[in-house]
Amino acid sequence: MSRGASVPYGRGRWTAAILLGKYLSAAAAGIVLGLILTWFVIDRKKGFGSIAAGPWTSFSRIGATDVEPYSRAILAYYGETPLSESQAISFISYVDSSGAEFNAACDYALSGEVPPARYWTLTLYSPEGALVANPANRYGFTSNEILRNAEGQFEITIAPHARPGNWLPSGGASRFVLVLRLYDSDLSVASGTIEAAKMPVLVKGSCE
Amino acid sequence: MNTADRLLGTLIWVLAVLAIAGVTHIVTILTLPAFASKDIYAWIGELAKPAQLGVEPHAQPGSQLVPFADPAIVQAVCPFDLSQGGLRLHADVEGDRFLSLSFHTPQGKLFYALTDLAAREGRIDIVVLTAQQLEAVEADDDEENPSQDLRLLPPTLRGFVFINALADVLGEREEAERRVRSVSCGLEPIVEE
Repeated sequence: MSRGASVPYGRGRWTAAILLGKYLSAAAAGIVLGLILTWFVIDRKKGFGSIAAGPWTSFSRIGATDVEPYSRAILAYYGETPLSESQAISFISYVDSSGAEFNAACDYALSGEVPPARYWTLTLYSPEGALVANPANRYGFTSNEILRNAEGQFEITIAPHARPGNWLPSGGASRFVLVLRLYDSDLSVASGTIEAAKMPVLVKGSCE
Repeated sequence: MNTADRLLGTLIWVLAVLAIAGVTHIVTILTLPAFASKDIYAWIGELAKPAQLGVEPHAQPGSQLVPFADPAIVQAVCPFDLSQGGLRLHADVEGDRFLSLSFHTPQGKLFYALTDLAAREGRIDIVVLTAQQLEAVEADDDEENPSQDLRLLPPTLRGFVFINALADVLGEREEAERRVRSVSCGLEPIVEE
């Protein structure tokens, strides 16, 4: 005897409706989850091509000739025209060295090592990649213009208001990101790992 | 329906959600470039005609051509269309100043790149050609006196070249702009037999 025959007609319809509801809810939940995943990858510039080192993430495979699909999607979404890996390696940071997201009301000190490169530049952007207007008209530093101490070490202060030394204004941005670019660097990201100790540290200072 | 049935039902539902999420994610990631890249490079056509150099305006708040542009970089673009002939690029490299050239398809995909470190005797000479144009050029080659040109065969008939110079100090933009403008980009007439 088949199972359906023992179930009254009305209940059969009811079961079918529940089943249809289950299919539809699975499809809807799946699509939403898939879109959230894609949004997260694009928003945070994450993907299989990215390499993390302390607070820094490199998406520089984007500039290679064999770009993987994640980097291609990120690149297309932002409309960047990146330099190739042989020319520049880029690192982006959304967080300080403790892993907390940047707060534009706070001071941050960037210091420590920068991997060897012919030049490097540090630039502050909004999370969408826009330069942030500020009265000093300063949007970043190059390795040749920062002030260093007698030992050749340096510290860059990212702060909303003027600070002595290397001051990088975070301006009126509510959220900001930092991008460190190494031009003509021997550093190879092809191996997939970079020691965090060889990258600058970002320490949070006082907040307003 | 007992507990095991219910658990199994829930498990199947969760697996279905995950499978659909995976497919949605992969499809959106793969199709995003096709949707997004259509107009990304439209500004290039407004900046320069094929085989002409156009210097991009200074990246400043509120007037950026592209997001995440490095304000220390001065960038020029030279589009090419090989149906009109080859493209010749020449740059004189000065001392130790950073200069780079990158070659892209109309969709932005990189197919070749080099920096001033690749210069020979302070010069960079590059010709971008189709396979037929290369044949014609090679037929004319002088074997005693081989050409020093780097010959590139792009995967597409059209595309663009980015020329980048780095301003050591953010204020020294004029100097970097002068180095970018000194790069010549022009049509290479080729007589096909």
